[in-house]
Amino acid sequence: MSTGEAHKPPPYMLVWLGLFVLTMAEVGYAFITAIPKLWLAIGLIVMAFYKAYLVAVYYMHLKWEPKRLWLMVAAPIPLIMILIFVVLNEVFVP
Amino acid sequence: MSTIEQEMVHAAEGGHHDHHELPFIRKYIFSTDHKMIAKQFMFVSLFFLVIGGLLAAMMRWQLGYPGEPMPGGMMLPDAMMAPTPNGAIMLPEFYNSLVTMHGTIMIFFAIMPLLVGLFGNLLIPLQIGAEDMAFPRLNMISFWLAVPAGILMLASFAVEGGAAGAGWTSYAPLSASGEWTGVYLGQQLWLASLTILGFSSLVGAVNYITTVINMRAPGMTWFRMPLATWALFVTAILILLAIPVLAGALIMLLFDQTLGTGFFRPDVGGEPLLWQHLFWFFGHPEVYILILPAMGIASEVLSNRARKPIFGYHSMVLAIIGIGFLGWIVWGHHMFMSGMNPLLGTSFMISTMAIAVPSAIKTFNWLATIWKGDLHLDSPMLYALAFVSMFIIGGLSGIFMASTPVDIYIHDTYFIVAHIHYVLFGGSLFAIFAGITFWFPKMFGRMMNETLNKVHFGITIVLYNMVFWPMHNLGVQGMMRRIYDFTQYEYLAPLQPMNEFISISVFLLVATQSIYAFNFFWSIFRGEKASNNPWDSNTLEWTVPSPPPHGNFAEMPVVYRGPYEYSSPESDTDFYPQTKSPSKPPVQDLIPEPVTPTPEGF
Amino acid sequence: MTTQAMTAGRAPMPGMKVYNLKLGMWIFLLSEVMFFTGLIGSYVILRFAHPEQFADPGVVLNVPLTAFNTFLLICSSVTMVKAYAAIQQGDQQGLKNWLLATIVIGASFVGVQVYEYIALASEGFVPIAEAYHAVGREGLHDGPVIGGQLYGSTFYTMTGFHGTHVSIGVLCLCFTYWRAAKGAYTADSLGGVEIMGLYWHFVDLVWIILFTIVYLI
Repeated sequence: MSTGEAHKPPPYMLVWLGLFVLTMAEVGYAFITAIPKLWLAIGLIVMAFYKAYLVAVYYMHLKWEPKRLWLMVAAPIPLIMILIFVVLNEVFVP
Repeated sequence: MSTIEQEMVHAAEGGHHDHHELPFIRKYIFSTDHKMIAKQFMFVSLFFLVIGGLLAAMMRWQLGYPGEPMPGGMMLPDAMMAPTPNGAIMLPEFYNSLVTMHGTIMIFFAIMPLLVGLFGNLLIPLQIGAEDMAFPRLNMISFWLAVPAGILMLASFAVEGGAAGAGWTSYAPLSASGEWTGVYLGQQLWLASLTILGFSSLVGAVNYITTVINMRAPGMTWFRMPLATWALFVTAILILLAIPVLAGALIMLLFDQTLGTGFFRPDVGGEPLLWQHLFWFFGHPEVYILILPAMGIASEVLSNRARKPIFGYHSMVLAIIGIGFLGWIVWGHHMFMSGMNPLLGTSFMISTMAIAVPSAIKTFNWLATIWKGDLHLDSPMLYALAFVSMFIIGGLSGIFMASTPVDIYIHDTYFIVAHIHYVLFGGSLFAIFAGITFWFPKMFGRMMNETLNKVHFGITIVLYNMVFWPMHNLGVQGMMRRIYDFTQYEYLAPLQPMNEFISISVFLLVATQSIYAFNFFWSIFRGEKASNNPWDSNTLEWTVPSPPPHGNFAEMPVVYRGPYEYSSPESDTDFYPQTKSPSKPPVQDLIPEPVTPTPEGF
Repeated sequence: MTTQAMTAGRAPMPGMKVYNLKLGMWIFLLSEVMFFTGLIGSYVILRFAHPEQFADPGVVLNVPLTAFNTFLLICSSVTMVKAYAAIQQGDQQGLKNWLLATIVIGASFVGVQVYEYIALASEGFVPIAEAYHAVGREGLHDGPVIGGQLYGSTFYTMTGFHGTHVSIGVLCLCFTYWRAAKGAYTADSLGGVEIMGLYWHFVDLVWIILFTIVYLI
């Protein structure tokens, strides 16, 4: 397929290893009771989104696609943040 | 050859196919041709437009003559109309269904499929120089998903408990359980129908976006696309991202009704406001879905009929994008009175006032477009001018509503109903009339009768204002929406004569539409035959025969300029088609060479 | 004629250098992102609004089993990407083998999830308000109820829709396998495999996020 730039084969197995390690790390981290719930949640979300990023960039080949596609893919992100942030204000009324 | 190369060669060949003549079913019923699918959407949607109008007429009977027997009422079942010795009187439950279904059918089954299903399908490939949509079979699926959705919606009238009765916005907890509306299966059918329709719109949006990005002809850069295509493109993006959120909400509400979950039911620990937020997060982009294509159509017609370029093409594009963008952060203005966090009220008020700006830019640009133009005041132009004027009124009432303190007073009154109808009827529907009239020759190879259209226009614009203008007054005087019998309130009883006036105007208005309907069908068979380009227009769809053949373009069009070169000094006529080769040597990097097949083929 | 020759001296063909099928699939996936946002976002809101209706990780839900299931799904992403790499080299047998592996692992994921649902339901953890009676994995069957019906409703809706997407993916994979067996894909014409892969990886991606938010937080 002459789409995207020609590139050497992506490091699929390396990414797989990374995903495996991160999953284990997440599960372990989730059960560390010493950490306050907020930091727990933030840390887990960060790890989860990084795993998602790895899948998108390497397995879904985003790394080698035109930058315009990256822009398109990023489009829902501000919408998600707006929806959740605004509605959360309903729950936490100052 | 790679897939991209295959596609390009195929397009370069001009879409010549070795098609044998298609059987009737493949050509007219299960068609994959975007032009046929556009017509399919058109016929089905016009049917639903009529139904929606009849539902409104019935509502207006009750409002104009509260508690009086309705003519023809005896034909309807006892669940809807209570029989008395003098005739049948409308039941409150049926009134609630009428209110709900009028809104639902008009928005989802009339206006949306007309603007997006008809004009999106018809115009996008033709205006960008493509032979069809990117995914023709998916296009067919999109139409054939909409049909069962419509059938389910209509069927809901016939089931026990009647059709949905919680308003087109279906607020929980009223809608979450049948014990409060008396509607059980009807509400579930409503939810199922809209979920299926959502899917239809979604796959349509995927098609439109891919087509516009990837299938533009050589020279058709982004800033040479007609505004109709731009508007439809941004609309498709709004559909793509908003409908799934609605789908999620509809499904959760359906679970609440059928499975007994409690997402939105406070009696089992749920959050009614969550429904409102989810619904309006979709609902606000939805109203821009309902107006943007209309704006695009208006731009095409105004520019062409004034024989002048659109004023401020780039700012028009940026305004479309701006509206699409800002439309995501204003949804709370539908919820000022919901009891949501007051801080949100402030922020939504600010963003809502901001979104008036791009709409205003467009309005000023339309006015500047027709200013000192060579105005051809034929019916498409008249409809388009009505669009601009009525949209201005609707937009101005929107400014009042945007202000939270004012909205506290006018929320859920007829002031809102006036606003809605000024933008949806005065705006979208007039633009649809303009668009159908303008592109009728391209669809059917014949012109609509101009005199009949002018008569229709003249009577409609007057009656329409007689119906909706007084609603501003009614609203400010305190008449609430969705009310079966407002005369039960002493302070509203004096509004009865005004309501009767509106109702009579509505009956006449509905009757007047038969003029357009007659003209439409008559002209399909007996209209004056049309040339390729009866309006002397610049855009690509007018370079092909009326109606265009399968595959649209005999050879791949090449685009040299923007779409609004009217009265250009470089042309010897008052228009300068996008695909016409320039007489002077053009800029170097845009010289196309005709691609001729060599004996070896491509 | 090459793309080069066709466009020599011509205005370049506008458009993204991403072919239609692939572009269309990416666009469709964006809508799926919004769909899951609606569901997961609702869960987040409801959880903040009524924390007493939910429970800490592991109390009701079986985290070790689901962690294993997460790993399974990630493995199926690897097998899918290997299938794609195979057909890029024109390796028909490799394509079929790796597709088959993906189907098997994907189906197993669904199987594990079904088993999980049955186990949870027997513990009284159900979506229906009136029947909700979750007692926690370590608790007695008639122990105190943990959490409230919102927990059940949101859990089954989110994971159920994800599971449905996986199941549809498995069916599409079978279709892809069938086409591959007929030799429909070559190194020059592997769009069908690529978009299948995109959908499958997306389903994995959603699960990565869902698993964290629902099972671990």
